[in-house]
This record gives sequence, structure tokens and C-alpha cells, in this order.
Amino acid sequence: MPSTKVLITGGTGFLGSEIVKVLVEAKDFAITALDINPPSLGTESYSSVTYVRCDILNFKKLREVFKEARPTVVLHTVAVNLLGESRYSTQGKDTVFTINVDGTKNVIQASQEFGVKAFVYTSSVTVLLDQLEENFRNADETWSTGRATTLYGQSKTMAEGVVLSSNTPSFRTCALRAAPIFGPRDPVTIPTIYGCIANGETPFILGSGNNLQDYVYVSNVADAHVLALHNLLGLGIAAGEAFFITNGEPITVRDLCLAVWKEFGHYPLFQLRIPEELAWWMGWGLEWASWLTSRKGTFSRGVVLDATKTRYVSISKARRVLGYIPRVSLPEALQISCQVSPRIECV
Amino acid sequence: MPGVKDLAYYAVHPTQLRSIIQWKVWHNPVHERDESKESESLKRCFHFLAQTSRSFVAVILELHPDILVSVAIFYLVLRGLDTIEDDMTIPLAKKEPILRDFHNIIEQDGWTFTENGPNEKDRQLCVEFNVVIEEYKKLKPTHQAIIKDITKRMGNGMADYVKNAEFGIDDNGVNTVKDYEQYCHYVAGLVGEGCTRLFVEEGKANPALLKRTELHESMGQFLQQVNIIRDIKEDFDDKRRFWPKEIWSKHVDNFEDLFKPENKDKALACSSEMILTALRRADDCLFFLAGIKEQSVFNFCAIPQSMAIATLDACFQNHDIFKRNVKITKGDACQLMLESTQNLQLVCEVFKRYTRKIHKKSNPHDPNFLQISIACGKTEQFIESIFPSQKPPVDEKKNPTNVEEAARLKKEAEESKWETIYMISAVIGTVVFISGIMLVVAWFAGARFDIALGQAKEQLGQLFGSSGSINASAPLDTKPSTDHSEL
Repeated sequence: MPSTKVLITGGTGFLGSEIVKVLVEAKDFAITALDINPPSLGTESYSSVTYVRCDILNFKKLREVFKEARPTVVLHTVAVNLLGESRYSTQGKDTVFTINVDGTKNVIQASQEFGVKAFVYTSSVTVLLDQLEENFRNADETWSTGRATTLYGQSKTMAEGVVLSSNTPSFRTCALRAAPIFGPRDPVTIPTIYGCIANGETPFILGSGNNLQDYVYVSNVADAHVLALHNLLGLGIAAGEAFFITNGEPITVRDLCLAVWKEFGHYPLFQLRIPEELAWWMGWGLEWASWLTSRKGTFSRGVVLDATKTRYVSISKARRVLGYIPRVSLPEALQISCQVSPRIECV
Repeated sequence: MPGVKDLAYYAVHPTQLRSIIQWKVWHNPVHERDESKESESLKRCFHFLAQTSRSFVAVILELHPDILVSVAIFYLVLRGLDTIEDDMTIPLAKKEPILRDFHNIIEQDGWTFTENGPNEKDRQLCVEFNVVIEEYKKLKPTHQAIIKDITKRMGNGMADYVKNAEFGIDDNGVNTVKDYEQYCHYVAGLVGEGCTRLFVEEGKANPALLKRTELHESMGQFLQQVNIIRDIKEDFDDKRRFWPKEIWSKHVDNFEDLFKPENKDKALACSSEMILTALRRADDCLFFLAGIKEQSVFNFCAIPQSMAIATLDACFQNHDIFKRNVKITKGDACQLMLESTQNLQLVCEVFKRYTRKIHKKSNPHDPNFLQISIACGKTEQFIESIFPSQKPPVDEKKNPTNVEEAARLKKEAEESKWETIYMISAVIGTVVFISGIMLVVAWFAGARFDIALGQAKEQLGQLFGSSGSINASAPLDTKPSTDHSEL
């Protein structure tokens, strides 16, 4: 049986390398991993995989890669996310939109030109949930997007729109809206939570502590990509559709933090609840303080909203259409992730 | 009568007292049983029901007449079976055949059992078991078949359990979690199945409940597991152990060690693992309740479930369960009954409230901290999925997706505009028409419109034309009086 040719953009990134791993293990794919960076230290690289260095903004180079690889399927995972304080600011709009939107347009154009049959886009729950002042309880894919307030959420919404509207019977596309992804060597979620220990922030509970949020383990997202790929090449009922991909285990933000700290052997000495409104004003005050002192603060209204709002979604559509099952459950996933993520790297 | 302690308690907990009063004063049974039409043997059966079950008798007695007697007899049959199984004074050789054959025994007229030990509390039920058999035989054949089938399976399950315990195969207790759930299946899961079949048979529940067997299984499991958790001390004193070794052996070496004060933390960790096992069933129980169609049946199912989740909360992170029997207060119980006898949404609120209470008490030192958090989140998400508290935002700005859609919207707007115009003209037309008819009728009846018109004109003239003269006449009237005053 001839193996399916798959091209992964962002193939050496945090999620991309995990997808490569899952595809290699499945054994019936010829894989091209495209990335601006070579495989980073500590991650596995495979001799059977063709690694190509290419910037998706460089369309000429991108065409050459496509011409060479002639993929049947493209998995587009490249995106740039603003971290920390920049998540809530409006600076850096150009970078974010260029890579997330124009980059996606480039990849789609190249795919269409070289006869790609299926295109899976790694979208994000932020397309809906980044309307930061709002609560989202058990939202599903019928909820309309377009009200995100962060640059990241807006750029992902726009790119997702481009991807889904390009769907045709000969070029099938779908979007997987992943929740915040964590895993071994994850660059964001676990290091951020771990960082609170050193800052002495662990005793403080922002808001009610009852607000549920979703997360997803990296290999579960990788599984979802492979399922989507099979669906688009086969029945195609996922074509033109968006899917929420989470671990299906909404828990409170506070509990996720406590569980991560526990993995590192840290338990808060006492607990102090800060009401949502008070926290919001504190964030407001500190934003001014950091503006006046022109230093970058770590606490702002955005952080407060991220920590105190309820934001979880239903994954029943992914279960039903894609047959998605989160194989690695949260407790196991946290254990693996915190073991591998070296402490030094986190600090 | 309430003691001084109770009075003091309710003096500082007025909301609980309020719930009790509300329940006693306002609760009306959905159906009341009609005692006048009952036979002597049935009356005797209800007497036993009241004696053997303090917690279930109230909800059974309010059941719909179609299933009231069947459920009561079902309960008594199983209670009889249980009394024989529990009695340690009966030798295995005698006990086992009775348990295995109990489904036939309930069809033997006049069968009684007098060999229970004198301390067995429900001894009298077995002594007069003939009344239960008499009433069982009067039930609808379909109901009899259900009761018989469940009795057969439960009797055999109990016999296996008793035999294993006797031969020390599992050192007088339950080993794995699977064994534990198997035991709960025989003593409670089967009851759930039997009741569900009775309800569906009489059209009181959605037949789909029979296909989703895990739902009624969870109903029974949840209640039984909560009882087992709560009764840990009582069972231990009676030399019985239902907590599975697979769970407690993670925390202590010997089961007795759970009760030692120095092992408090280990005991609590062990109890939270037990509570977690039960808590994972909560969403299934709510799902089951969604399939009930009749109010009295709903109450019958919902009250014990609400009590169970509240008991779970009372036991969670509470070391007292290893010292005494922990109970929810009477005020809380009444409040729960009030909330469980209305609709599913309120019961969901109860579940949400208590899962959040449990969640709040959970602490990261507990080995199952994250699992408990996930179980609580899952219950809350399930409730949200059946009763969404939030509507998807409406998109005002949303543009029509294509030309036809736009044309259709435009046409709709045009139509609605004309509709308004027609509506207003119809109203005016009707008013004019009816007034016209009234005038014609009046004219035929001899009304003098000419005079009426003339008078109307005159009055109008007076109103406008004579306004000056009224003012002018005032000085004339007052003048004499001023004269007089001068005089």
C-alpha cells in the first residue's frame, strides 16, 4: 500500500513534533516536517521524516517545498502566540496577523496549487473564549465567533474563516479548536503555573475558585489531527467544520494549579481568597503602576479575567464526528508533563 | 419529642427549622393510599413496610396507585431475602438453598420462616411471610414476573457472596473494586433494574431507560455505596467489611488500622477514594431522573438520591465516620425533600450545590485531589448540558449569507409591514361597523337623533358661548351679600 504523503507546518514545534511522532508510529505516512527551526534539543527526530527549514511567509520557498514533497494532506500547526502581558495588549499586531493569517493564506494557496486533498488547521478555543469579559459554560461549535478581544484570538478567528471557506469537495478542510495545550517541554501552561511558586503567589485564590476551564494534553490533540486527516480523506463529514478539542475534563483553574504545584512538591501554606471585583481593581492599579514605572508587570486585568472566568466547552461534536477520545486523562498527563519539564527550564 | 439539645440547635439554625415547618405544613402527597379498600393482609404488609424501612416508607406510600402495591411487595420480598442472608445464626447449608430458591418460595402459599435468630430485627416479617405471598399473588402477572426475576438473580448473588464469606475465600470481605461493585449490583443495582421495569411497564418512565442499563445500575450503586461509606463504623462493629481491600490497602496494612486515631490522614484519604468512586455515578443518576414521567415516581427516585449526595458531602473529609454514624440534620433533610419533590432542575441544583461543597473541602494533600476535581467538574458540565444556564450569544451584525437569503429577508420585512397596515385598518373598520349597527338599531327603536343633535348643539353653544355670562353672573350674586355686610 502506498503511504499517504503528509506535510506538517510547524513540524518541529511543541504540537507539530508530537503529531510527527504519532504519524511515525502509525507507519503508513510519508512525512515532511516543515519548520522555521530545526528539531530542538531534547525532542526526538526521525530518520524517516524529511525535515525542511522554511518560513511560511516566504511563498517562493514554500512553493518549492510543496513541489518537492507533493503532499496529499497538509496539517497546518504554525501560529505565533503572545505570552504573558503581551497577550492582553494590542502591540505586535503586525507580527501576529502576518504569521497567523497571511502565513495560513500562503499555505492554503500552495496546497491548492499542488493538488492537496485534505487540509487540517490547528485553530484554538480562543476564537470563541477570548472574549475575556464573558463566561462560557459548555459552549459548542454552534456558538458564533468573531468577538474575541485578544490579538491572538482575532487572528485565529480570521485564519480559521479563511481555512473553512476554502473547503471544496476536492480540497477538504477542517479546523481543530484546541484548548490550552500542555505536555512535556510545553512552553507555556506548566511553566507559567510553576513560576507562581517562586513568586510566592500560590496562596492567593482569584475569584470564586469555582470557575471551570478546559485544557488538553498534547498527544490528545495530535490524535485529533490524525483522526481529522482520516476523516477528510475518507467519509469527509468533517469537511468545512470546526471542532473543539479538549481533554473533556473541565476543572477549576485553582485545582489545575494546585495539582501542578503538587507534582513539584509544593503545597500553599495558607489560602486567601481575593474576590473577583477586588482582583480586577488590583489589576487595574498595577497596570497603572507598571505604566508609571515603565516596567513590565505580571499582574493585570487580563490575567484576572483569565483566572476568574468560566470557560469550558463541549467536545461531543468531535466525539461524534471524528470519533475523538481523549486517551490520556488529566492526572496521568500532568504527571508525565511535570516529570519531563525540567525545573530549570521553567524558571 | 425534641430534646433541649435540638431546641438549642434550631434556635441558632432558623433556616433549618423553617424547612422542617415548610415540609410538615405544605407538603401534600401526590397520591394518597386508600386504606378502606385494602384487605387485611395488605394492611399487614404496609405495617411491615413501615417497620422495616424508615427511610423508604414515606416515598413508597405516596406512589401512584398503579405501582404502589407492587413496589411495596417488591420491597418486602427483598427485605425477607435480606433478613435471611444477614442472619449469622442460620447455618450455610440451610441458608444457601433458601436464598437460591427464594423466587419459587414467594409462590408457595402459606410459607413462613421461623428459624431466624431472636435478635434479628425484621424477624417478624419472616414469621408472617404468608401475608406477603398472598399479596404477591394478587399482583398483575407482568409485575410478578419482574419481581420473581430480580429475586432469583439477587438470591443467587447473595448465596455466592455468603458462600465465599463462609469459606474465607476473601477473608470475610470484598477484595477488588470489581467485587465491591458486584456486591452493590446484587443488593442495589438489581433493585434499580426491577423498579425501572415496573415504572416502564406502567408507562411512568421512558422505555429508553431499559436500554441504558448503566443508568439504573448507577441509581442503585450510588445509594448503596453511600450507605456503605456512611456505615463503615457500624459495619465494622458488626464484624462486616464492605470497603474493598483494593482501596484501603493503598492507605493502611490492616483494615482495623483505619479506625486508629494516629492514622487519621490515611483514613481520610481512603474515605475520599471511596467517595470518589460513588461520586462518579452522580451524572448517571441525574440522567436517569430525566427519564421519569410521573411526579410520584420522580419523588420516589429523587429523594433518596438527594439525601445520598448530601450524605456524601457530610462524610467527605469527616473523620467522625470512623467513630460514629454521621447523619445529615433533620432540617437539611426536609429542605432536600422540598427540593426533590418538584422538578429535575431543582434536583440538579441540589447536586450542583453539594458537589461544590465537596469540591471546596477537597485539598491537594489528598492523593485523589485531581480526580475528585474532575468528577465534580463532570457533574457540573452534565447539569449544564441538560439545563444550559447561558444562551449562545445572538449575532446582531450577522449578514445574510447569500443573495437568496437577502431577498427572502427583504420580502419578509415587506410582508410584515403590510401585515401591520391590514391589522390597523381591520380594527378601525370593525369599530366603525359596530357603531353603525348600534346607531341603526337605535334609530329603528325610535331614537330621536334630531332632538339629540339639537340638544347637543345647544349644550355645546352654552359651553363655549356662555362661558362669559357665567362669570358675569357671579358679581350679581355676590353684590347683595356685600351690601349686607356693609349694613
